[in-house]
Amino acid sequence: MSRETICEKERTKIEKLNKFQFPFKFKKIGYYITFITFGLMIAKKFVEEPDWVKPVLSGILLLGMLLISMSRDKIEDEYIDSLRSQSYRFSFVIVVLYALIQPLINFGVGILFDETEKLQGFDYFQVLFFMLVVQLMAFYQLKRVSKLG
Amino acid sequence: MKNTLKVQRAIKDLTQDDLAKEIGVSRQTINSIEKGRYVPSTVLALKLSAVFEISVNEFFELESDD
Repeated sequence: MSRETICEKERTKIEKLNKFQFPFKFKKIGYYITFITFGLMIAKKFVEEPDWVKPVLSGILLLGMLLISMSRDKIEDEYIDSLRSQSYRFSFVIVVLYALIQPLINFGVGILFDETEKLQGFDYFQVLFFMLVVQLMAFYQLKRVSKLG
Repeated sequence: MKNTLKVQRAIKDLTQDDLAKEIGVSRQTINSIEKGRYVPSTVLALKLSAVFEISVNEFFELESDD
């Protein structure tokens, strides 16, 4: 197989992966998963539960949100695609800034009340949850603004 | 980039919705192109050109800051 053919195949594969989206009906499923899991996460605060429950629910919540994020709109065209790309770019930048600034703010506030405060990072759930929330909100806001004319 | 989509649409007596259905996009997309908030791809520009039977150059015009 020639080098060009391998490159071409590789490019096609990446393009396919990049354009992959779930059908529109998966958006509804994503909403159900997200809201039910969110409800369960709140409910579990009031009951004793085994250690594995929290990471499992966190994972399911992220999957639900990812499903909403990656599902097609009713009419998915190039304009909606461009709004979606803008929302991903926006959420990426916001989350990087958040991840850099938030621990410093926590540290600063913490040190005011407790001199032994240590600089702490985030767990993966916080970062991914925040990223998906920002992306979904930015996407809907961009669509809403463009509808207003 | 300026465009004359709104004028062309009025000449053909098409609503944004009619045009959107004809070329397979959302009404929002047509609205955004007319308002100059979105520059369509070459494919979409050619589809518009086919509907109105005029060349792309008659639709779109570069502005000084483009």
